[in-house]
Amino acid sequence: MTNATIASAWTTAVDDAPIAVATAADLVAIAGADGTAWILEAATGVPVGTVTLPGGLLAAAFSPDASHLALAGPSGHALWRRSDGHVVAEQTGAWSGAVRWAGPDRVAVASGRRALVLSTDGTQLWATDPAPSTVTDLAWLRDGRRLASSAYGGVRCHERHTDKPVTEYRYLGSHLAIALAPTGRWICTGNQDASIHIWRTRDGDDLTMQGYPDKIARLAFDDTGQWLASDGAPDITVWDFSGKGPAGTEPRSLRTHETVTALAWRPGGDAVLASAGAEGTVAFWRAGSGRAGALVRPAYERELTDAVVALAWSGPGLLVLADYQGRVEAWPLPDGLAR
Amino acid sequence: MTATTVTTTDTTDTTDTAVDTRVPVTVLTGFLGSGKTTLLNRILTEQHGLRIAVIENEFGEVGIDDALVLDAEEEIFEMNNGCICCTVRGDLIRILGALMRRREKFDQILIETTGLADPAPVAQTFFMDDEIASQLRLDAIVTLVDAAHILDHLNEVKPEGVENEAVEQIAFADKIVLNKTDLVTEEHLTEVTARIRAINTPVEIIRAQQAKVPLDKILDVHAFDLDRVLEGDPTFLTETEHQHDTTVTSVGIDLPGDLDQDRLNTWLGHLLRTKGADLFRSKGILAIAGSGRQYVFQGVHMLLEGENGRPWRDGEARRNRLVFIGRNLDRATLNEGFANCLAEVSA
Repeated sequence: MTNATIASAWTTAVDDAPIAVATAADLVAIAGADGTAWILEAATGVPVGTVTLPGGLLAAAFSPDASHLALAGPSGHALWRRSDGHVVAEQTGAWSGAVRWAGPDRVAVASGRRALVLSTDGTQLWATDPAPSTVTDLAWLRDGRRLASSAYGGVRCHERHTDKPVTEYRYLGSHLAIALAPTGRWICTGNQDASIHIWRTRDGDDLTMQGYPDKIARLAFDDTGQWLASDGAPDITVWDFSGKGPAGTEPRSLRTHETVTALAWRPGGDAVLASAGAEGTVAFWRAGSGRAGALVRPAYERELTDAVVALAWSGPGLLVLADYQGRVEAWPLPDGLAR
Repeated sequence: MTATTVTTTDTTDTTDTAVDTRVPVTVLTGFLGSGKTTLLNRILTEQHGLRIAVIENEFGEVGIDDALVLDAEEEIFEMNNGCICCTVRGDLIRILGALMRRREKFDQILIETTGLADPAPVAQTFFMDDEIASQLRLDAIVTLVDAAHILDHLNEVKPEGVENEAVEQIAFADKIVLNKTDLVTEEHLTEVTARIRAINTPVEIIRAQQAKVPLDKILDVHAFDLDRVLEGDPTFLTETEHQHDTTVTSVGIDLPGDLDQDRLNTWLGHLLRTKGADLFRSKGILAIAGSGRQYVFQGVHMLLEGENGRPWRDGEARRNRLVFIGRNLDRATLNEGFANCLAEVSA
């Protein structure tokens, strides 16, 4: 483990407590809990613009080409257009906790118990029927044709031709977040009952990973679909989905944080994971190292003054992180981590 | 933080040193018309200098500049294990979670439930979600009661398997605001009070007109704090022999002596496993053999939170006081079961 201080590529600050960092192409957005998102140039941190959604923010995502930014919050959603800074804000009064782009031209937004699919100008293209509870997370399957949404009772999948679900993955409990394997083979949810539920997409065959001390609110697959990382404990667990999947296997345990606040796989599929903890630590991991069941220590670790509450990769070479006080830093990949 | 096992360790002193900086949360329950909205408006408009966030489940006309008011629609989540104690309020987890991520900090959070809400999932949310438990503290469940109409609500016969919400809200309460006392006779108030005490014997009853209650009686009162459990409550364990056909009652136990820790754990564990669904609230201060400190616990259904309280004072008689509030409680069996946990009784 090396602990030499990385020279930040740039630093800046925003006047709010960030809740998310979004990245795409050459842009970064820092979404603040009170409703403003600051859009910056990824290479320099120079401001490009701001968008405000009254009522606060819960989620933010750029379209893959960074031509649009979608925002969601406790009382509505908004879309920002890069070409002219135009903003469409919808005060729906419905809780919107997730946004997910299907491609450059369509975005799904959680809106109360429904999910809405919008074009880039905010026009509603289609919507799902109401779920049993407020929709918690979204994911696109089949090249953006099928939308998976999580809520109480499981994951429901919808397509444009009907407002009824085309497939349902049911499991009694409150599903908080979705991770979809990029291979399309697995759909996983993090649960309020401190478990990860896993379905094989093809036939709905399922299994539950139990034994976590806390709810699972964050979980993510790496780009290859082999590794699934999650919170739910002081240790980040990493399950191996190669071969027949993780049934009967043990996860790797990544140990350094007390409470995990953010995790993000480095793009490109080399099993490098970045994570942050409430105590202020930021760590980089070779998450696939060692055997199944191994206790893994950080490949690089640094402790900051305040809790880092969000982080995201801007390409494979730059990690953007935001702390609770609104300080934003962009770090290059620490030496020795690139393969 | 939740366990059905009592352990006593005198090595750490959790009650005297640690300052609890978590934000207090008050839960306001009560039927439509009991005065919840009036009380809420009074709390929000009074000059108390507190930053208050309100989560309301009914479409009340609350519009105050200095407070954040958030709407919530009740979302009750059960878990796959079928355990009633794992039933939580998803809407509260979501809203409180978002509130905690804001930079603005509140001195007090108020949750107004609908008139028909079951208080258990609200209380359990504060036990079951670690993220919430680490930053927020359930301070008290305050139930507003309309003195003129409560007896009708309590007497309402429900279909088999359906709870009488008025009974539940009284059973769960730490404080009861007996409102609209100006609309009824003193004789009626006496009957209402007796009826409330038959359900929830140790509860503090505060009489009020137009929901005028001193705020320090209901806000930040630490009713859920273990070191305040049963303390300074002269009405505790006052046996009310007032007989009604109510299946929800309080059973108080007061026994001198020391308890055998293993036998207590076995008994309490079994009780919570088998009767947890019927046990709405339980509270107690116990003397464990070999421990110089009081053991204090507090529970909602089968969730129990316990820790070492203050040391027993010199010359203070070591005794055990506890109360169960619940449905179909068998006083004789509870008394006998608990008495068998006394250290001098051979198992």
